[in-house]
Amino acid sequence: MHFTRRTAQLLHEDHQATIAVIEALDQMIAKARKATPDTNDPGIRAVLKSAAGAIKDEINKHFAFEEDELFTRLEEMGDVAIGAHLREEHAAILPLGQQVADRAARALDSGFSGDEWTKFRTFAGELIERMFAHIQKEEMALLPMLEDILDDETDMELSTRYANTHT
Amino acid sequence: MSMAGSFLGGAKNRLLPASVPFRFFLAASGFQVLAWAMLFVGAPDLAGYAGGTGPVLAAIHLLTLGVLVLCAMGASYQLLPVVTRRPMARTWPARLSFWFVAPGTLLLAYGMANAALPALFSGGGLVSAGLLVFAILTGNNLWRAGNMAVVAAHGWGALVALAGFVAIGVLLIADFQFGLLTERREMALVHMILASFGFMGLLVLGLSQVLIPMFVLSRGLPARLGWAQLATGIAALGLVGAGVLMQNPGLMIAGFVPGIGAVIAHFAAMRTAFRTGMRKRLGLSFILIRASWRFLGLGLLIGLALVLGLALPGGPALFGFVVLAGWLLTFLTGILQRIMPFLASMHASGHAGVPALLSDLTAEFPLRIHAVCHFAALTLVMAGIVFDLTLSIRIGAALGTLGALAFLTFAIILVVRLWALSNRA
Repeated sequence: MHFTRRTAQLLHEDHQATIAVIEALDQMIAKARKATPDTNDPGIRAVLKSAAGAIKDEINKHFAFEEDELFTRLEEMGDVAIGAHLREEHAAILPLGQQVADRAARALDSGFSGDEWTKFRTFAGELIERMFAHIQKEEMALLPMLEDILDDETDMELSTRYANTHT
Repeated sequence: MSMAGSFLGGAKNRLLPASVPFRFFLAASGFQVLAWAMLFVGAPDLAGYAGGTGPVLAAIHLLTLGVLVLCAMGASYQLLPVVTRRPMARTWPARLSFWFVAPGTLLLAYGMANAALPALFSGGGLVSAGLLVFAILTGNNLWRAGNMAVVAAHGWGALVALAGFVAIGVLLIADFQFGLLTERREMALVHMILASFGFMGLLVLGLSQVLIPMFVLSRGLPARLGWAQLATGIAALGLVGAGVLMQNPGLMIAGFVPGIGAVIAHFAAMRTAFRTGMRKRLGLSFILIRASWRFLGLGLLIGLALVLGLALPGGPALFGFVVLAGWLLTFLTGILQRIMPFLASMHASGHAGVPALLSDLTAEFPLRIHAVCHFAALTLVMAGIVFDLTLSIRIGAALGTLGALAFLTFAIILVVRLWALSNRA
């Protein structure tokens, strides 16, 4: 799957990376169920590391870029509904991402207690579900819209600005 | 922009009131229970079934009209305006069509089970009137379609097949009283082919072009594969239909060539969706959807074996069962358990501040029971047909009924939760 606009392609690559992380998280939760997973297991540690790092940093940068640079442009063009809806979803996802990232980081240091694992599963379960639905909407609504509305110059300017947030 | 995008892109005006699509989906879930239960009653007649009134014919129509057609109507009313980006002008005709088709199917099934002519005529009349309203509404929407030409073309093909199978269906009912048809068996076979492969098949193939990519998170599919499946599918329908009516096995065999081509094109399109899709863990619904494609392939092979004159125990009944229950019913229950929560969440998010979670609306446990019972039922009934074992068919039908009850439970819980969320806001 490739987008012709660099901005859309960069956001799409972010989505791919995020889906890989949350699918791994989903798989870890499905495998462990109610049994507390062993955080010394290299597989579990890898999933928790990516959850602690990628979710928090990438989601923050990604959402901020969309809200500051993209939704504002769409709103200026008269398309308020899509930005309003996606902002609403960002507001629901961000605190969940924060919770999952913090709890994953703590578990990497000191493992999960039974109670902490239950809470982690609850927050991560909701994050996974909301994130899938959100990415689905952005892939099918926002990114095709960017393909239509961005000209070469704006695309270069936006994509450079976005790439710089990742360096 | 594709379907989920269209929902978002200022598409509240294309989201029908929840009561419109959900009445069709709920009723279809209820008819599924009745269809399996009627098959339980007609179990002794199934293996050697070759037409005629009785519980098997009633079960077939409870399944086709009650489950498959009602699902197709509900999905088309909601999805086609979204796909074509043309809102439905009025919703009352859609509600009206439901009140024709749902009670009409009950009457028709009663008439078929008991060879009661008044019920056959009145039920057939109601169903035909409802399908006419559906055809006018859908035709109007497709006529105004601004994009997704390949999906719209599948819709047109399905409507032509609808006109054909309804006309033949009316003739077959009239024939019970007036004895009009000299080739009743051939007409009944064409009726079945047009309804299952023509109307339902083309709708399923067309809507899969948008639904499957949406669920697996892949971009749009290559349009050439969509056009290829449509062209070869129509060619197959024409050749096989003509071959049956002219009792020409050569034409029927020739029809299987484009038929297999249509299935290969469809599988290639779906494979592309999976290959490019970002979601890899797709859950229970996709176990059903993938299994349904295997039944489609199996159904074609059984059909080909029958046309080639190969000895296949219970061949005609097996062919009908694999196509209707194996392919279409399995596919639709897989799709319904995805679409219903998705639509419900769209409606619920319009009321509450934070978007509703699909898991808040979906009861997973009944769906698991349904899947296990459904596959066990399919296996036992197919084995019962092949080995002419009434007991196997009966146990299969009982399990099918249990699974359908579980599916109905899922549908009711979902509607109740949506209603509660809507009222809380």
